[in-house]
Amino acid sequence: MDEVRRLSAEVVVIGGGSTGCGVARDAAMRGFSTILVERADLAQGTSGRFHGLLHSGARYAVSDPESATECCVENRILKRIQPDAIEPTGGWFVALEGDGPDYSDKFLRAMERNGLPHEEVRLALARRLEPRLTRRAVQVISVDDAAVDGWALALGTVRSALEYGARVLRYTEVKGIGLTGGRTSTVHCRDRRSGEDFVIEAGFIINAAGPWVGRVATLLGIEDVTVEPAQGIMVAVSQRLVSRVLNRLRYPGDGDIMVPAQTVSIIGTTDAPASDPDRLVMPRDKIQQMLDCGEALVPGFRQARGLHCWVGARPLIRDDSVKPAETRKMRRGMFIFDHASRDGVEGMLSVAGGKLTTYRLMAQEVVDQMCLKLGSPRRCRTASEPVPPPPTDHFVAGQVTKPGAGAEAPEIEQPDWPISPAGRQRPTGPRHITDRLAEAESTRADDQIICECELVSRRALVSALRRHPDDSLDDLRRRLRIGMGPCQGGFCAARSAGIACQEDAWSAGQAVAALRLFLRNRWIGQQPLVYGELLKQIALDNWMLYGTLGLEQLPASQEVVL
Amino acid sequence: MNLSPTLAGHALARASLDACVKCGICETRCPVMAATPLFPGPKFVGPQAERFRQGLSVDRSLDYCSGCGTCTLVCPQGVKIAELNAQARAVMKAHHMPLRDRLLGRTVLMGKVMSPVAPLANAVLRLGPVRALADSVVGVARQAPLPVASVQSLGRWLAQRGRSRANGTEVSGPDDQTGCEPDAVGRESGAAKRGQVVFFHGCAGAYFEVETSIKAIEVLEYLGFEVLVPAQGCCGLAQQSNGLFKAASKSVLKLSRALRSAGPDLTIVSASGSCTGMLKHEARQIMGVDDPELADVSYRVRDIMEFLAELDAQGELPHSFQPVDATVPYHAPCQLKGQAMGLPALEVLSLIPGLTVTESGQACCGMAGTYGLKKEKYAIAQKVGAPVFEVFRQAGASLGLCDTETCRWQLRQGTAMRIEHPVALVHQAYGLGTCLATD
Amino acid sequence: MSEVVVIGAGLGGLMAACELAGAGLPVRLISQGEGSLSLSNGTVDLLGYAPDLVWDPLSRINQIAPPHPYQVIGSDNVRRAVAALTSHLPDGYLVGQASQNQLVPTALGAWRPTALLPASLAPPQPKDQSRWLIVGFDRVKDFYPKLVAANLSRTKIPGGGRVTAIPVRIDLPDNPGLPGGDVSAMTVARAFDQPDFAAAVGRQLAQAAGQAEADAIGVPAVLGTAGHDAWRQVSQAAGRPVFEIGLVPPSPPGFRLNQLLLARARQLGVRLATGARVTGFQANQGRIVQLTTDAAGHGQTYEPTAVVYFPGGFESGAIAMDSTYNLAETLFDLPLAGLAPVSQLISPSYSPNQTIFQVGVQTDKAMRPLTDGGEPVYTNLYAGGGLLAGAIRWTEQSGEGIVLGSAMAAVRGLLDGIGQDLEPKLAAAHGRRTQLSSSHPGQTPNWTDGAP
Repeated sequence: MDEVRRLSAEVVVIGGGSTGCGVARDAAMRGFSTILVERADLAQGTSGRFHGLLHSGARYAVSDPESATECCVENRILKRIQPDAIEPTGGWFVALEGDGPDYSDKFLRAMERNGLPHEEVRLALARRLEPRLTRRAVQVISVDDAAVDGWALALGTVRSALEYGARVLRYTEVKGIGLTGGRTSTVHCRDRRSGEDFVIEAGFIINAAGPWVGRVATLLGIEDVTVEPAQGIMVAVSQRLVSRVLNRLRYPGDGDIMVPAQTVSIIGTTDAPASDPDRLVMPRDKIQQMLDCGEALVPGFRQARGLHCWVGARPLIRDDSVKPAETRKMRRGMFIFDHASRDGVEGMLSVAGGKLTTYRLMAQEVVDQMCLKLGSPRRCRTASEPVPPPPTDHFVAGQVTKPGAGAEAPEIEQPDWPISPAGRQRPTGPRHITDRLAEAESTRADDQIICECELVSRRALVSALRRHPDDSLDDLRRRLRIGMGPCQGGFCAARSAGIACQEDAWSAGQAVAALRLFLRNRWIGQQPLVYGELLKQIALDNWMLYGTLGLEQLPASQEVVL
Repeated sequence: MNLSPTLAGHALARASLDACVKCGICETRCPVMAATPLFPGPKFVGPQAERFRQGLSVDRSLDYCSGCGTCTLVCPQGVKIAELNAQARAVMKAHHMPLRDRLLGRTVLMGKVMSPVAPLANAVLRLGPVRALADSVVGVARQAPLPVASVQSLGRWLAQRGRSRANGTEVSGPDDQTGCEPDAVGRESGAAKRGQVVFFHGCAGAYFEVETSIKAIEVLEYLGFEVLVPAQGCCGLAQQSNGLFKAASKSVLKLSRALRSAGPDLTIVSASGSCTGMLKHEARQIMGVDDPELADVSYRVRDIMEFLAELDAQGELPHSFQPVDATVPYHAPCQLKGQAMGLPALEVLSLIPGLTVTESGQACCGMAGTYGLKKEKYAIAQKVGAPVFEVFRQAGASLGLCDTETCRWQLRQGTAMRIEHPVALVHQAYGLGTCLATD
Repeated sequence: MSEVVVIGAGLGGLMAACELAGAGLPVRLISQGEGSLSLSNGTVDLLGYAPDLVWDPLSRINQIAPPHPYQVIGSDNVRRAVAALTSHLPDGYLVGQASQNQLVPTALGAWRPTALLPASLAPPQPKDQSRWLIVGFDRVKDFYPKLVAANLSRTKIPGGGRVTAIPVRIDLPDNPGLPGGDVSAMTVARAFDQPDFAAAVGRQLAQAAGQAEADAIGVPAVLGTAGHDAWRQVSQAAGRPVFEIGLVPPSPPGFRLNQLLLARARQLGVRLATGARVTGFQANQGRIVQLTTDAAGHGQTYEPTAVVYFPGGFESGAIAMDSTYNLAETLFDLPLAGLAPVSQLISPSYSPNQTIFQVGVQTDKAMRPLTDGGEPVYTNLYAGGGLLAGAIRWTEQSGEGIVLGSAMAAVRGLLDGIGQDLEPKLAAAHGRRTQLSSSHPGQTPNWTDGAP
C-alpha cells in the first residue's frame, strides 16, 4: 500500500475565509508553524459574498452596543493595516419621510453613549454631495463606514501569513480528523484537483469554517455546534450611483445598505434562514425586493444596469433566546467553542459568528485561547503590523518570473491588482476607485488591457497564470476582477482562456473547459438580472461566443478542470 | 433601454454608459483614433473610463478627443460617448486650463477686435513671426488655419442696408463686388408674404463669414420671409468645447434671451451649423443647462438647409432653380451630423438642375471646433482631415461646400479651394448672385 | 411620390434600402447609430444547424420545424436575397453558394458552417493531409494561435479527417500608426491598408510557412479596412493561400462589408439619417402616417408612404425587458409571440438557447407584423430580421439568412402593396453595376475582386 503524503504543523486552520486567513496570520506571527486548508478558493464563501461594507459599528449601535464598539475599533485598525483592501468612502445613515423620529433618536443616543463618531449632515449639503440620493431623505448622519474588498482583504492577510512561514492549501477538503487519546492529532485531507489524499499531523486545530463550522465539528462526532446560516441576497448594478455607503436610519431590515464597492453599487441584503449553506437560492421575488430597496434610496435604481447578484450565508450561531426564524436579531458577536470543556475533545477550538469587519479580533481571541491551552502565551501583533502590500517584484522587464518553488506549497497568494510593472511604485495609501484608471493610463502604451470593463492588463493575467496555473477562470476573477464588469466576461473570458493556452498554462482542452465552466458559473448570478441592458449584453455575448466563435462546436475536453 | 429621468437628472450621459455593450463600433469610426495612437479611443475614455472617474481627472489621454461627436452618432446603443468625454474634459480643464483655450473660447472678442481693422489684423495673423509667437506662447499652431476677418461686419451691412432702404436705394451684398447682377426673376425684396423669421448669425457669421450670412438672409427674403436680426452675442460653443462650461452657459442663456426678444414662436434660422448645434444639443446634453428659454430656442432653431428642406417637404420651396452645371464636393461637418437630421444640404442641392454633389463620406475634417488650431493637435487634425481633402481635390472642382465656419477654414487651407456654405449655390440657383461660374 | 422610411442600418435595413432605391423609390434610412454589420465577420450564414449539421441550407430552409421565421420567408426569398446582395457588392467579393455550406475555422479553433463569405475569409478545402500555419500577431488581442491550432487539429472534420495546424506568433513590423500596448483590431487593419506593411507581413508569413512546410496560412481577420487589396498583397508576398479568421467585434471584415453597402446605398440615392432614434409614430386607419425621431432640438418628423423596420432583436434592444420582467417591442409595441412567465423564458441553468430569445414578432408573407387575430397591425409596416420570433440565430447559424430573406420578402411585399411591378425594376437595378463614386477614398471597392 502506498504511503500517503504526510505534512505536519503546530496549528492547522480549517477554512480560508477572512477569519481562517486571519487565524493563520495570527498564529504564524506568534511563531507557530501553521497550515491553512480551504476546500475551495480563498474567500470564495461568505467572505466573498457580502455587500462590501466595512462597518463603523453604527449599524449595531442600538441593537448590539458591544458589537458596535468592536466594529468601531477594528474598522480603524484595518484601515491602518490593510489600506490596499479598503476604500474609506465614509457612510451615511439616512432617514426617509415616514421613517419616523423614533429610531433616529435612539440611534443618536446610542452613538453618543458608545462614543461612536458621527455627525449630522445638512440636507442641502447632502444633496450636493450625493445628487442621486432620494428627495425623500429628511435626516442624514455621517459615520465612518467604508468599502472593503473581501478577496483583497483575505489575500492580503494570507500574504502576511505566508511571510511568517504559514502554508496555504486551497482546494483541499478535510475528510476526517484523527484522535489520539482524546486529543486531535491528524487532519485527513483530499486535494480536490488531483484527487490525492494526504494527512497533516496537527498540534492544534482551529476550525474557522464559517457556516460550515458545525459540519467540521461533526467529523469529531460533535453534533451540537449549531450554525443557523442566514442567507443574504445582494444585487450589484454596473456603476457607482453614490460615492459613500448609504444605510437606512431605521431598525435594521432588508435592503437597508447600499455600498459603492469598486466600480459598482451593491444593495443588500435579505435575511432568511438557510438550511444548507451549499444550497442557497435567489428567488426572483427577493431580487425584486432588493431592487425596490435600491429604488427607495436612489430613485432610478431599477433602470440602472443590473450586473450580478449573489447570496451569502452568515455563520450565525444559534442563540436560544430568539426563534430560528428571527435570524436578524441573533447575535452578530463571535462564539468560540472550547471542545475540551464542552465535548471532552482536546486540541481543537471552533470559532464562528462575528463579522468580516471583526475578523482580526476573532482571530486574536481564538489564538489567545489556543495559546492558553498550549501553555504558551504569546502576544498578538496583528493590530499593529500592516500586512505587506501586494509585491511588485513578480514582473521584471517583460519576463514573468516563476515563483520560487516550495515543493508542496507553491502558493504565493496575493491579489494581482493593482497592477504594476517593475519599478513603478504601488500606491501604499488607501485605495481609491480612480487608482486603476490612472494605472491603466500609465501602462496602456506598453501593455494590453484584457478585461476592458475592469481594466485588467495582460501582464497581470499572465503573472497570475504563471504563479497559479491551477486557477480556474473564476479564481482569476477573484484575484484580478476579470469578467466582473458590465460585459460579464463576454469579451475577456475567451481572451483569457486564449492567453492561458498561448502561455502554455493550459492545454486547449483545459482552456475550452475553463471557458465553459466560467460562463456556467457567471450565469448563476446573472440570470435573475437578465433584463434591460444585461439582456442585450447576453444576446451580444451569445452572438460572439456561439455565432462567431462556435464555442458549442468545440470538442469536449478529456481533461478535468475544476 | 430608456433612461430614467430621475436617475439621469443632472447626468444623462453618465447614465447612458450603462447601455454600452463594448461592441466597439465607435472605435471603427473615430477619426482621431485612426489618425493617432495617442488617443485610446472613444470606448476607452468614454463609457469604460467613466466608471472609474468619480468626478476626478486622472487620464490625460482623454484630451486627444476632438469632440467631433462621431462616436455618439454611430453608437447603436445610444451611449452619449462624446458627451461623457466632453464632461470629463471639462473636469480635466478645471485643473489645468491653458490660456490658449480661454482665448480660443472668446470668439466675439476676437471678431470685434479684428473686424474694424480687418486688413491689418489679417496681415498680422499671416506674419510668420507673429504666428511663431502665438505658437510658442499661446499654443495656437503656427500653420493652423485662422479666420480671415471680413472688412464689413454683418452688422454694418445690415445697418447700411437699412439706411439705404430708408432712402429707397437697395444695397446688395458682396456679390456686387464680383460684378454679378442679381437676377430680378421672382425677387420680392421687402415683400414679406410668409411672415417673419429670426436670423441667428453666430460670431463667425457676424465677423468672418459675413458673405454666408448675407446670402442666407437674401435667400430667405427671396422666399418671402421678413428676416429679423436681433442684437445677439456668442453661443459659447468654443468655450464649451474647451471645457469652460460656466462661461459657456452664461453665453448661451444670454443668446437665448436675445433670440427670443425678436418675437415669440418665430422660427430661428442660422447658417452657422455648429452654433445651431450648440443651441439644439451641446448646451443641454453636454453642459446640462436646464432652462426654459434655452429649451424654447433649441426647439425653434433651424439650420438654413434644414429649414429649406422642411419647406420642400411641405411643398413650399419653389423649384424655380436655374441650372448649375457642375460637380461639387460636399463635406457634412461633424457638428451638423450630430444634430441627427440627416443631410438636408444634399436634399436641397439635389433639386438644382445640373448640379452633382459628391459627399465626402468622412466623419470629420479634423478641425472639430477649435481642436485643429491647437499646437499639439495640429498634426493630428491635418491627418484626420486628409481623406476629406483628398475627396475635395479629386472632385476636380474649384468650389467645395461645407456648412460650418471653422471647417471651411480647415478645408480652404487643406485643399486651396474655394469653400462655401451650401446656401451659396441655392443663392446662385435662385438667381441672386453668382458663386460658381459655369459655362 | 413620398418616401419609404427604412429603420435600421444593419444588413437587413441596408439591403432593403438598396433594393427599394434600386427599384426607383425615394428611400430614407434612419438609424440609431451605425448598424450591426461591423459586429459580424461578413459571412452569410443561412442555416448551419437544424439541429444537426446542415450541408445544403437552401433546400433545408423549407423543411425547418415550426415555428420558425423561415416558414414565412421561404427559400425562394433567401435565394433571391443572396443574389441581390451579391449584385450590390463587387464581383467576386463573396464566394460560396446558398445551396452548399462550407466549414470555416473560428478564432477559438472551432469549425463553423457558413454558406457565402468574403473571399478573404475562405480557407482552402480542408483535407486530411492539409498543413495549415495558424499565425497570431502580437498586437491582436482576440486571436491566440496555440488555442486555435490545437482545437482545429484535434477536431475531426465531418466527412473528412483532421488538418494539421501549426501555431506561430509573429511580431508585426514597426509602424508609426501601430503603437505597442493596447490596440484594437481596426488599428491593426489600418496598418495593413499600407501596401508596404502588408507586403512585409506577407514575407514574414512566407518564411514561417516555409519552415513549417505549410500549404495554407490562417491569420486573424485584420487584413485592411477596405476591400480585399491588403489580403491580396499579403497573399502574393506569402506565396501561398492566406485566409482570414473572423474575430469578435469590432470586426474588420464586417466593417468592410458595411462600408461597401453604405457606399452602395449612397450611390443609389438613399437618404441617410444616422444617429437618430425613431421615438414615436402616428397611425391613421391602420397605416403608419408619421414617424418622429429624437434629433437634436425639435426632433424630426417624417411622413412615409411605408415603413420597413429592421431594428435588430434583443442585442439592439428592439425587443427589451424591463426590471419587472415585462417584454415589449420598443417602438411600435408590436404583439410578441412566445411570451411566457419569466421563469419559463430564462432558465437557471446556463445555455445560449434560452427560450426568451425565441420571443419575437410574427408576420404575414409580406413581412407585415400580425395581431393575435392574424391581421396586419399596420398595413404599410414591414418588419424582419432580428425581430422575428422562433429562432435562436447564433446556435442555428442562421442570422444573415433570416435577415436577408425577410428583407427581400419585405421589399417584395411592399412593392406589391403599393402596386409596383417588382421584377423588371429590380432586375434593372441589379443590372446597373456602375462603379461606386470614386469620392470615397479608403472605401472604394475593388470591382474585380476574386481569389488571388
